[in-house]
Amino acid sequence: MEIFRSEGTLRSNNVIKRKYYTIFSFLGLVCIFTGFLLLTPLIALFFNFTGNIYAFLKPSILSFIIGTVLLLLFRRKNNPVNLTLQDGAVVVILSWVYVCLISSIPFLLENHLNFTNALFESVSGWTTTGLTVIDVSKSSKVILLWRSILQFCGGAGFAVLMLSTIIGPYGAGLYQAEGRSEQLLPHIKSSAKMVMFIYSFFTVLGILAYRFAGMSFFNSINHSFCALSTGGFTTVSNSIGHWKSLPIEIVTIVLMILGSTNFAISYLLLKMKFKKIFHNVEWRVTLLLTIITISLITFLTIRPFSFDSSLRESIFQVVTALTTTGYSTVSLSGWPNPGIFIIVLLMLVGGGICSTAGGIKQYRIYLLMKSIFWDIRDHFLPRSSVVKDYIWRGEDKFYIGNQHMRQVYNFVFLYVFTFFIGVLIFLITGYSFKDSFFEFASALGTVGLSVGVTGPEAPKHILWTEIFGMFLGRLEFLVVLFGIRKLFLDFKTFVSLKNKF
Amino acid sequence: MYIVIIGCGRMGSLLANRLSKQGESIVVVDKNESAFENLSAEFSGFHILGDGAEVDVLKQAKIEKADVVLATTKEDNLNLMIAQIAKEIFGVHKVLVRLFDTKREEIFSTFHIESISPTRIAVDEFLKKINLKGS
Repeated sequence: MEIFRSEGTLRSNNVIKRKYYTIFSFLGLVCIFTGFLLLTPLIALFFNFTGNIYAFLKPSILSFIIGTVLLLLFRRKNNPVNLTLQDGAVVVILSWVYVCLISSIPFLLENHLNFTNALFESVSGWTTTGLTVIDVSKSSKVILLWRSILQFCGGAGFAVLMLSTIIGPYGAGLYQAEGRSEQLLPHIKSSAKMVMFIYSFFTVLGILAYRFAGMSFFNSINHSFCALSTGGFTTVSNSIGHWKSLPIEIVTIVLMILGSTNFAISYLLLKMKFKKIFHNVEWRVTLLLTIITISLITFLTIRPFSFDSSLRESIFQVVTALTTTGYSTVSLSGWPNPGIFIIVLLMLVGGGICSTAGGIKQYRIYLLMKSIFWDIRDHFLPRSSVVKDYIWRGEDKFYIGNQHMRQVYNFVFLYVFTFFIGVLIFLITGYSFKDSFFEFASALGTVGLSVGVTGPEAPKHILWTEIFGMFLGRLEFLVVLFGIRKLFLDFKTFVSLKNKF
Repeated sequence: MYIVIIGCGRMGSLLANRLSKQGESIVVVDKNESAFENLSAEFSGFHILGDGAEVDVLKQAKIEKADVVLATTKEDNLNLMIAQIAKEIFGVHKVLVRLFDTKREEIFSTFHIESISPTRIAVDEFLKKINLKGS
């Protein structure tokens, strides 16, 4: 750092300036994109649904204006700077904060929520959590559709949405910064397009499947959007339990699993390369975890003469927790404590990397467990032995270095640490141990299951704790930290250089 | 276009960066992990750690699907071998090779492998400059 500062020339100032020109023109694109997005729920009006047009039109126009101003000010045709992972982090944070704010405006105008609640709903949508503070039975259909669109887009993520549509090849840093560590094809743009294709393809399948299972068209769209993005917003008050229909539950389970599957695996699935899928570690973790926990919970919740119904309930609840979706078919408040505890653990584990799910991610859990095994094995090896440990990731072997392991450990530590801080805030507010654990695990893992703490009347600081939890959980901590540090450093360098010249 | 570049030194990495920026699908192969540090943020393709002369590594790079294979390792003989593997075994149509030693050009042309020699190009440039000055 010292070297950099003492050699602080006009040039490095220019580099920072040029970089921020690129960053702000990116943000301009994000604004315009959001402007279009805000218009999409209005399509529902063509199908004779009632709703307040201005609740969407106003923020949309605002977003277009901000976007155009940013583009006019900062867009440079010649030499845009390529964004590194750190710069990508800055873009990701700024754009996520922006969209969460602007997307909350319809909730303010249409549902007359206060600012905290509106923001909560919007963040819950974008982070694909699914905790809600609005009463769905009293909301207009346009608002319900808007919530589903938020989850659909939040599940794909900005990098994928934008890379597959507007921006050029300058977004590799952006893609990684949004927690997408895997790339399907050897070019970022084609890769993003492929992810978007798989995602939309599954969504369409989901809509059709729901239709066949007996849902109305409107509900099919909403639930397909929210199940595949592992979001969990619903249009009825009892979630999937409202229908009491086995086919609908099965469709939901399949969609949730597809959503929480690494896109790289989905790609292999579509290409019918089943042998390679079998190698992949995440599948094994999913399978193992679901089988163990389903049998445990079935055993715990079993009532006389009701084996099949308790099996059905536990399968659904386990899948919804592990995939971090948050649909439910039964009320969890009546569950025995061990069952709740298992669900909390599943919510903390979460889905696959490079999927729409949240949580610590199965990949990291697998690595942690595997590294214990490796460590024990290494103690019994000759001192001069050389071992290279690998796991199957995507299509190929991936060799695990110390650097990689350190990142995994750091992530898990940060995750658990944040979890405990959040739980502490809940406990201080006066919630029971069980409720605090469950509700914050649900927010941090972007799950959306609730034991009843989250609601319109919940204290403001609880909602804000959950907002931070959801935000950090979705963007995977380090990016948020990178981004804030980077912003701070760049600002400092910029100011100190400006004073010199 | 799908391009496989073998050897991620100064030249291979520059090619990879430029081509990736243009929007092509790139896979780079090198046996030194540190070589991939040459890749800039513009590069958004894959990199594979491994010996480019090994068939398994080339298969991992999906060389059979490549439109173009560029052999840019620092050893001419290795480049020749990779080019032959790509052409004969995997049937890649366009294979380009970097060649330092101009004496070997004839061997390459008997194998019908297109080669580009930085040495020759540099010499040509030098001569051009000298002649310009002279005239």
